[in-house]
Amino acid sequence: MTAASSTTRSSSASSNPALFKVVTDSTADLPRAWQERYGIEVVPLKVIFGQETFRDGVDLTNDQFFERLEGAQQLPTTSAPSPGDFAEVYGRLAKECDGVVSIHIGSNLSATCEAARLGAESVEGLDVRVVDSQSTTMTMAFLCRVAAESPDLETAVLRCEERVPKLGILALLDTMRYIQMGGRISKIQYLLGSMLDVKPLLKVEHGEIKPLDRTRTRARAIAGMVNRLQEEGPLESLAVMHGSAPEDADKLRAELAGAMPGMEIETGQIGAVLGTHTGPRALGLIYVKK
Amino acid sequence: MKNAPTAEQVDGPLFKLALLGSLSWLTANQEEVNRLNVFPVPDGDTGTNMLLTLQSAVEDIRDSDAAEISKIAALAAHGSLMGARGNSGVILSQIFRGFAKHVQGKSALTPEELADALEEAANAAYRAVIKPTEGTILTVAREAGRAAKNAARQPDASVNTVIRAASRAAKTATDKTPTQLAILREAGVVDAGGFGLQVIFEGFLKTVEESEDAAPLPPVTAGRAAAAQRNLELPEEGWGYCTEFLIEGGGMNVGEIRDTIAGMGNSALVVGDEDLIRVHVHTNEPTAVLAYASGVGNLSRTKVDDMSKQHRVILQDEAEPESHRNGSQSKAAPTRPNGIGLVAVVAGGGLTEIFKGLGVDAVVEGGQTMNPSTQDMLKAVESAPYSEVILLPNNANVVLAAQQVLELTQKTVHLIPTHTVPQGIAAVVAFNPQKDATANLEAMKGALGQVQTIEVTHAVRDSRANGVAVKKGDVIALTNDKLKHSGGDYGSVVTLALKDLKPEEYELVTVYRGKGAGDKDLKVLTEAIGRDFPGLEVEVHDGGQQHYPFILSVE
Repeated sequence: MTAASSTTRSSSASSNPALFKVVTDSTADLPRAWQERYGIEVVPLKVIFGQETFRDGVDLTNDQFFERLEGAQQLPTTSAPSPGDFAEVYGRLAKECDGVVSIHIGSNLSATCEAARLGAESVEGLDVRVVDSQSTTMTMAFLCRVAAESPDLETAVLRCEERVPKLGILALLDTMRYIQMGGRISKIQYLLGSMLDVKPLLKVEHGEIKPLDRTRTRARAIAGMVNRLQEEGPLESLAVMHGSAPEDADKLRAELAGAMPGMEIETGQIGAVLGTHTGPRALGLIYVKK
Repeated sequence: MKNAPTAEQVDGPLFKLALLGSLSWLTANQEEVNRLNVFPVPDGDTGTNMLLTLQSAVEDIRDSDAAEISKIAALAAHGSLMGARGNSGVILSQIFRGFAKHVQGKSALTPEELADALEEAANAAYRAVIKPTEGTILTVAREAGRAAKNAARQPDASVNTVIRAASRAAKTATDKTPTQLAILREAGVVDAGGFGLQVIFEGFLKTVEESEDAAPLPPVTAGRAAAAQRNLELPEEGWGYCTEFLIEGGGMNVGEIRDTIAGMGNSALVVGDEDLIRVHVHTNEPTAVLAYASGVGNLSRTKVDDMSKQHRVILQDEAEPESHRNGSQSKAAPTRPNGIGLVAVVAGGGLTEIFKGLGVDAVVEGGQTMNPSTQDMLKAVESAPYSEVILLPNNANVVLAAQQVLELTQKTVHLIPTHTVPQGIAAVVAFNPQKDATANLEAMKGALGQVQTIEVTHAVRDSRANGVAVKKGDVIALTNDKLKHSGGDYGSVVTLALKDLKPEEYELVTVYRGKGAGDKDLKVLTEAIGRDFPGLEVEVHDGGQQHYPFILSVE
């Protein structure tokens, strides 16, 4: 609906711009305000605790999830939405608009992009453009905002695709336990198998998870994150994300605000699906480079 | 031994006897040397280190009947270098090396030449040490050399007078070491390494005095004699020439070449593929081996009788899978993006697991109680599947022996002089396989300064060090290698040690529990830390180290 308002602004560029909407998935950690302002559809991934399946961000809150995670005997697993989940959303949208920019978690991190493509094939009369963000969490939300503020579908897709190589995440995990169980670790194998609890600093970029540093203490690791971010050069957007560590996120945000005056910094909490892989007390710096 | 050597000159056989005599005399005095360690910690093994170094020096000469002193000296230098353990052991190996270099090409030494060689040996040892400290084995070596020179200038100079003068000067110099080093004065002991060298000179003197009377060599212990006998039966290291080369060709039959070369010597290692073969063999007929091989293909990197390289090649051949040899990648080998391996010296099963878990490729057993030899570390370095290796000695007394590894391998080895296990762990944690050596060395060395070590043990005798008086059996804490606190129980001593470190600046205490620590001891310790330092997180791991019930890392 709000995307439609953008199209009126661009009417000089195109005589009859098509209406389009933005779809993403729950791993975008899309701020509620943005979701409402831009009318973005969020398709949930799933978190499975034993026999129980929850829709990420729908059936349980993030705080409920982290509480449950810390107490869990057996770690949860996660799964992508089904193509049917996407077909249902796209089918509904086909009645409202002509096109969709569907922005999703990186295809080498999850099967979500594939499910979106398959789901789109079963819907007639809707131009679905799946954007593989090669990233996750707020980087996707930043893409959603850019897309929603674009005048038309083509521009939205172009602007997203331009930004995909510029997305980055610096993630500090408090423990190796969860990412090890989650299996998204081929590149960071060297960090594992240790009896010592090492806090790894990881970088997600171009769809890959790369190890940067490992430290034994959190204070030093957080200082390392700030230094690493400054090596990334000028930024278009920046967010501090956390998994049940709001005080650390606030501290980090204040530190960054001092180091990067004038930079608008979002903060938020990661959802259950990412939280399953990062574990509690994870901290992330999420950014789009200029 | 058939021609009882006169003491007019020192030739190969006499020098060999002298070294064997020194070994047996040092063996007899080993406990005495060990007792001299300054710190009352249970790793007082300077005597053992000296003995093992000397044993390794003698190992190579037992089977040699070389007439020339140059050959015996070269074997001793090589053997001691390979077997060097501990700082005193390494310095001893440098003394042998300097001696061997000076007597190169000589078949026997006049008293004057002997004195020159002893002086030059001491000089070489000084040059090999980055920061020479007076009041140590170095001083003793120098004083012995000087006295030998003076004695050689006397009109009635003989081998005996030279050695006697050296031996006496060594004793005088050793006795004076407490006046040179405050730490010895405080502990009321002489320098253990210096005393070890003094004992070696005394053994030398006994040998030349007895040989003058054509008396038999003072018998070494029965066990040792038996071992020597076995060595004679197995002349593994006794073949004349260590011969090695590469053969480049096409369609070569490795099996056939291996069989042929194996028939021409001992310790044959013939590995490679049909295009490139590497040969290492100990043979009495190197020319015959080379003649045969040159008929098979083109030879390169030929080395004959290159004693200093001999051990390295053997070890490398044992350690490396064949596929590494010609540059092809081994499928099984782990591939770290930066191509840098990690080797650490660690004692204790739990600590070994921790180091391996953090990515260390090879662990050398040793540390607090048993200093590993240069050769042990060389072997581990060669076994790491990378051509560039970072070596972590994790003990102050191992650093110098580790330093020697750099000269003995073709691999690029970077030594990070970690003095404690927590420093080693901090360095390994900071290692990043995505970064090159320069960046890693900077990060790893930087990490050393961010971790403090507290080692907790019991005093093995009454002593004073660093102004701390301790009684046998007291719990003592060494903070960053220095004795700082003593007391009756683990909790109170560790609390004192932590208080000194400004605990508010730290976040995490990792406790590595040693073999001697019971569950109750651990409880007392962790409860004391939790009570006195609520801001510190405590993590406990089984270290399995001997003699140190607890090692604490504070960061």
